[in-house]
Amino acid sequence: MSSLALRLALWVIQIVALVVPAARRIAWRNEWEAELKHHASYLRRRQHRPWSTDMNLISRALGSFPDAAWIRRQFTLDAECVHDVVYSTRGLAKSPAFTAITLLVFAIGIGAAIAIVSVADTLFMRPLPIKDPSRVMTIWQQNRASGAERLDVAPGNALDWMARTHSFQALAVADPFTFNLNFAGRDPDYLTAARVSEQFFSVLGTSTIEGRLFVPEEYRRGAARAVIFSHALWTSRFGADPTLVGKAVRLDAGAPYTVVGVMPPNLELRLFDDRARRAEIQIWMPKPGFDEVESRLRVYGAWNVLGRLRPGVSIAEAQADLDVISGHLAREYPKTNSSISAQMIPLRAHLAGGLRDLLPFLLGAAAILLIVSGANVASLLLARGASRQREFAVRQALGASRLRLVRQMLVESLSLAIAGGALGLLVARWLLDVLGRFRPLDIALIDRMPMDARSAVLACGVTAIAALLAGLMPAVQLSRPEAVTALREGRTGSQRAVGRIFVIFEIAAALVLVVGAGLPGRSFMLIERVDPGFKRDHVSVLQVFASNRIDTPAKRIVFFDQVLERMRTLPGVVAAGGVSAMPFGEARVIARGLLEIPGQAAPSGDDGFVHTTAVSGDFFKVMDVPLVAGRLFVASDTSTSRQVVLVSRRAARQFWKGADPVGSRVRFQFSGQAFDAEVVGVVGDLRHEALDAPAAAELFLPYAQSGFRALTFVVRTAPDSPTDLRMLKEQIWAIDPVQTIFSAASLEQLVSKTLSERRFNLVVLAGFAFVTLLLAIAGVYGVISFSISQRVREFGIRAALGATHRDIVRLVLTEGVKLALCGIVLGITLALPAARLLKTLLFGVTATDPITFLSVSAGLVVVGAVACYAPARRAIKIGPAEALR
Amino acid sequence: MKLTYPTTLVLHALAQGFRHGFDILDVTGLPSGTVYPILRRLEQEAVVSADWEDVAIAREEQRPPRRYYELTAAGHLLLKTALARYEVPRSIAARARRLRPARSS
Repeated sequence: MSSLALRLALWVIQIVALVVPAARRIAWRNEWEAELKHHASYLRRRQHRPWSTDMNLISRALGSFPDAAWIRRQFTLDAECVHDVVYSTRGLAKSPAFTAITLLVFAIGIGAAIAIVSVADTLFMRPLPIKDPSRVMTIWQQNRASGAERLDVAPGNALDWMARTHSFQALAVADPFTFNLNFAGRDPDYLTAARVSEQFFSVLGTSTIEGRLFVPEEYRRGAARAVIFSHALWTSRFGADPTLVGKAVRLDAGAPYTVVGVMPPNLELRLFDDRARRAEIQIWMPKPGFDEVESRLRVYGAWNVLGRLRPGVSIAEAQADLDVISGHLAREYPKTNSSISAQMIPLRAHLAGGLRDLLPFLLGAAAILLIVSGANVASLLLARGASRQREFAVRQALGASRLRLVRQMLVESLSLAIAGGALGLLVARWLLDVLGRFRPLDIALIDRMPMDARSAVLACGVTAIAALLAGLMPAVQLSRPEAVTALREGRTGSQRAVGRIFVIFEIAAALVLVVGAGLPGRSFMLIERVDPGFKRDHVSVLQVFASNRIDTPAKRIVFFDQVLERMRTLPGVVAAGGVSAMPFGEARVIARGLLEIPGQAAPSGDDGFVHTTAVSGDFFKVMDVPLVAGRLFVASDTSTSRQVVLVSRRAARQFWKGADPVGSRVRFQFSGQAFDAEVVGVVGDLRHEALDAPAAAELFLPYAQSGFRALTFVVRTAPDSPTDLRMLKEQIWAIDPVQTIFSAASLEQLVSKTLSERRFNLVVLAGFAFVTLLLAIAGVYGVISFSISQRVREFGIRAALGATHRDIVRLVLTEGVKLALCGIVLGITLALPAARLLKTLLFGVTATDPITFLSVSAGLVVVGAVACYAPARRAIKIGPAEALR
Repeated sequence: MKLTYPTTLVLHALAQGFRHGFDILDVTGLPSGTVYPILRRLEQEAVVSADWEDVAIAREEQRPPRRYYELTAAGHLLLKTALARYEVPRSIAARARRLRPARSS
């Protein structure tokens, strides 16, 4: 143990030695090390050695600091600075309450700033494990008619882009899919996987950390089955086993796969545009060339496209190039491509997901919080300085220059800021952990943000700013020569004025941030109240893709019917049904196609398209979707009966323009099959994607007639039903034990998941707003208290002249409310432009929403008044006698 | 030259033959953060002279050479002045007597 103590002690000496001037450093260190080693060996020779002797060794080592400081003071031209540090530390230690509050305020402001800057740094600055990441672009489809962005790319379009563009070294595609893990004796599970085209890894500019990338032969059809694991999969499922590379692993019932490599960590490619889904690719496989069929698929988005810009080509030039190609495609394929264009997003920006839009505001909010905490500390320093006026006066009288006093005050605020910054690092670490836990799925990397040298440098920068913010104003203010005479005469007006300016600013900042949380907050409430067209309570959702064992449409119909039948018999089940495209489902199965009505001109552009959904059982009853006209499907609508469809209200409006669709015939394609069916009814609209995305025109057909492969079970249970997801899963496995269940959740959860990004943003914004508000309250309280303590004589005289309690309270409250009003006016002028940064977060409210602005302003007036309450009570207690003291 | 009570104790310890920094800590009971700056100051005022001990001793004890301090003539004079002003507590004097045989070299 003594050796540990000695090590610690020597370590202290090493660090303290940095204080000693270089010329004497080595001699100084030798002396201390010799003494410590001698003492340690002397201690070692003693038989009885209590632990206190070890502490003694360390405390002696710590004593080297005053020694080093003394030497430094002799040597340095700036001996006063050392003196200032010692002096201010001593002064702060003497007023622990003041010091604690100041440190807390600093820790909050500095911590929040470090956390947000770290997020920005991680997402935009830190090196990614890829070559030249700023040249890598993700390319998506954009629908100019509907305004939908970041859509998966239809294979035909991707292939044409690849063939025609000249701006990229290469374009590559990834075709994501879910890979079923079928092991006997284990619940079937799945992995997210992607087949990638040959250029993919060179476009991305990454290599493996273990093993190798795919070789060209592996991209040929019929080549050996090779896979590359993601780092996460390699560590979580295979314990980061380095011998795994080159081995064959069985992943499903088929032949084994050879693991050829492992991707580097911290490469989180979020390739799906879907924001609610588990998006990180876990397994990479080579895509064996392109099919002739793929070049003709232009309706369904299925692929993700990456490109590496050719050297010298700018982002704007590449985008212009793609726009030209999109224009050509729109002319060549007017039916499908008239409103489709290519949208290029740099990989970095893509990884930031929804935070991309919010980050400027958050950086602003962190800056505001930092400034407010600086202002708060400044007013604390001012108030404390007022009681130290005598000290300053004496020092000035003894010949201290003004610069000297200013520097002394700055050193004081710097020592506070450094200690606060150290606490702030802890706060930041905690904030980053919280952010990581609540993060929405579309933001990459933020659940593994390290605190390292980079963060330390950040923290130092932020701390220095905070120290200047807090220290400069009080220093200049308090060291003014006239401050001395002012004190003697009992006037402290100018200091109070400075304090007031701080408070006005703090209130303005609080208003900006509270509005910044209030607008998205109101949007959130409005979104939650949106009627999606179905009832979301007490509905369980189980999404499956029929396994290979169930390979014909007829077998699938039987399978689904059997499962539904079993589910219906469970206790408390009210209704059970199935659907091919589940609203808010985890896997998006969207079938979209042209709808033709014989004898009627097809609507142009996007209006000619309809979403096609197969349903079975009591789907509409489970979802509580109203029947508007005609009838629902019945048991007699089978694969052999005549083809029937239902249309949504929106589809009826879009295609029949007010006429009754029931009885008319429609033609459409579904899963590669042509249909000619009769409309038998109209049902309500269903929102599929998100609560803030309007329902599309939709066509429903009976599952029995569709031949479709995927189906989602939906089950409505009574409120007190004992049936849970596990029991429902078992009904599926009772029929097919190796059936993978892609996802199982309550509908409530699925809907709520689409709000996770908004919720995350809201939590972050509300956190900022809350803390700033607290600081503003503390600021008002501090300034009013200070003002009253400075005006004891005035209040005494007022009391002597007959002022009632009410008069005094009114006087104090007026002062506080006046400050609040000034702050509110300033805040509103700042918030109006700032709120525009939040535009993408708003729903149903404008960035200038008067209700939010008015209620926040009113709230702040109340807050200002409440903060004055305690000082006002103190003012009442001042008696006439005080005036004489 | 500021003549404080701790300075007196350090001078007294040096006069008793305690020559190394940590030995002075042991005998005076003062913290290292007090004793060392005093030693530096005394050295600067030429009241105390300092040097490194013989490398042979250090090698024998397997550590770097220690630095030792001795009173100069001015130092003895200063101690006399100091003792006229302050009294060295009996406990410290006793400790000096007890430690000396064991630690002096």
